[in-house]
Amino acid sequence: MASHDKLSLLNALLTLEQLQRTPSREDGLSEEQEDSLRQFGCHLIQTAGILLKLPQVAMATAQILFQRFFYQASLRKFAVRDIGMGSVFLAAKVEECPCRLTDLINVFDHLSKKFRHKALDPLPLFSQEFYDLKNAIVVAEMQILKKLGFNVHVQLPYAIMVNYLKVLELTEHPTIPQRAWGYLNDGRLRTSVYVCYQPPTIACSVIWLAAREAGVPLPMQPAWWEVLDSKLEDIENIAGHIKSLYYQTLPIPDLPLTITEVEPYLQRQQQITLALIDAEKRSSGGNANQAPDLDITMTAAGTAEGPDRKTESKSSAPRSVRVSRFS
Amino acid sequence: MASLRNHAEQLNAAVYRNYKKDRKVGEGAYAVVYLGTQLSTKKVVAIKKIKVGQFKDGLDMSALREVKTLQELRHPNIVELMEVYFHKTNLNLVLEFLESDLEMIIKDKSIVFMPGDVKHWMLMTLRGLDHCHRNWVLHRDMKPNNLLLGLDGQLKIADFGLARDFGDRGRQLTAQVVTRWYRAPELLFGAKEYGYGVDIWAIGCIFAELLLRNPYLPGNTDMDQLDTMFRALGTPAEVDWPGMKSLPNFVQFKHYPRTPLRLLFTAAGADTLELLESMLIYDPNRRISAREALLHPYFFNKPRPTPLENLPKHVRESPEEAKKRRKAELLDTMTQDERKRVFRVLDFKS
Repeated sequence: MASHDKLSLLNALLTLEQLQRTPSREDGLSEEQEDSLRQFGCHLIQTAGILLKLPQVAMATAQILFQRFFYQASLRKFAVRDIGMGSVFLAAKVEECPCRLTDLINVFDHLSKKFRHKALDPLPLFSQEFYDLKNAIVVAEMQILKKLGFNVHVQLPYAIMVNYLKVLELTEHPTIPQRAWGYLNDGRLRTSVYVCYQPPTIACSVIWLAAREAGVPLPMQPAWWEVLDSKLEDIENIAGHIKSLYYQTLPIPDLPLTITEVEPYLQRQQQITLALIDAEKRSSGGNANQAPDLDITMTAAGTAEGPDRKTESKSSAPRSVRVSRFS
Repeated sequence: MASLRNHAEQLNAAVYRNYKKDRKVGEGAYAVVYLGTQLSTKKVVAIKKIKVGQFKDGLDMSALREVKTLQELRHPNIVELMEVYFHKTNLNLVLEFLESDLEMIIKDKSIVFMPGDVKHWMLMTLRGLDHCHRNWVLHRDMKPNNLLLGLDGQLKIADFGLARDFGDRGRQLTAQVVTRWYRAPELLFGAKEYGYGVDIWAIGCIFAELLLRNPYLPGNTDMDQLDTMFRALGTPAEVDWPGMKSLPNFVQFKHYPRTPLRLLFTAAGADTLELLESMLIYDPNRRISAREALLHPYFFNKPRPTPLENLPKHVRESPEEAKKRRKAELLDTMTQDERKRVFRVLDFKS
């Protein structure tokens, strides 16, 4: 594995090919389906981490491990819940705040029940289900380590961002630090920003976004981001990714948690797509300027095979991802 | 790159195929160590097999710590993690193999240490440790047993199972680290925040052990450890160590006076004792750092550190060889008559 290369303070980034031909997409999932499952997993990790009273850094690491894992494995083969549990378990150890297996199982079981609107009865400690979950965690942990080649180092942009805020004399501003921090959280939560860009660029981007919204001008001669080793193009791209989150809602009850739920989910999605294509055929010719970005359960937009439809649905967020040279 | 998906699996399988386990050389709390061969180069390696039981709590923390820190650290005086691979449900760490360790050398009383030998060992230890500390890694288990020695004389720090990052103020660390004899006073008093000082204290104890050829502060229990320490170095007062009394497990000890080190270390030079003393300062904030220690006059004064190839080496013997050697030694010390008697009793054939 990578053990011959010296590990640096930079994160492992993906190549364009890895980004476009993810295992899940090769397995027949659409970009949107993969995206929503990734988001779902990160949401699950964040919620579980809060219930487990883990420090934020453990959740952040877990989410990044989770994101990285699914560039090596397919969402059709590995369940969001299992890898989610495994990432939390592993990240807690990596960040030196290990959590008990029993607590982890209880929390994830509680969350699965909650997401499915089931009765929130605690899981009996000696039930088969409990053992199965325990086993799933241990297996998932191994799988993650294996697929990532034991590279569990994760660099987070939080500290860097605070330093940048200091440099830009923004620490005392009433909204910018808080907002930028929030964007960092959300960016990590929901998109693959963290596998495409290095922490300093991400830090610049959230500051750029927050300062823009607050209407605070920042030094332009030379441009402040150049001094901080970032490019405007990357900054805008990340900002677009982060902002795009706020236009989507995640259909949580519908998303598959376990591996047995994946195929029925994909079938349901297929049917919706077919119905949509059907409807479109019937009303074809009429409405060219139908608003593309509002039917966002994400299901409708992406699964259609028609190439023109796909490009249309991108208007709300810049989807094209520039891949860094660091990879 | 036709199948990106199986990339990791293929790599893992390729790595696995490249190693052969030859024989078991040791068993620890969470791992079995094998002597192995890297087939592509015929190089001898140590393979640490970590058992991952199905119903335990997943992968052992120390294994993870070891992998995580060793991936980061590359230094001539730190053992190299060559590869990591899975086989079945076991995790295997492929490490450099070194023939002996400092503990064996210290115990092997047939070897006489020259001052230059000790100097070079200390130099190598400090270089390795300085590299750890500069990368914000605490070793937390420095002891002669974890300082490995290769046939070329090179010393390497090993066993990073307790290692972790430090320097983050306000983060609580556990005080239950380091083998007792080498444990720093702040740890014995239960300090939850500490830094490089714990490793330096341990090195100080190792330094003293190299000079004495015996453990310097062999306490039987944690309390006795403190007692032993204070007997040797004097009970610290508030001026020696400000803030000592606010440590969680602080206990007031009987007052022992401080005995000058030169009374115990009669053969050691003034610079040697000065360095030793600055490593064994009670106040962790005033204790010397690895970097400062490397710049200490001790390392620049004569005698020069013994060249690597002339450093004493301990040849690790197989059980059969050891038996043979002991028999020979025994026979050497006996008179002709005694030998005959023993032969009869033990039925020695040769």
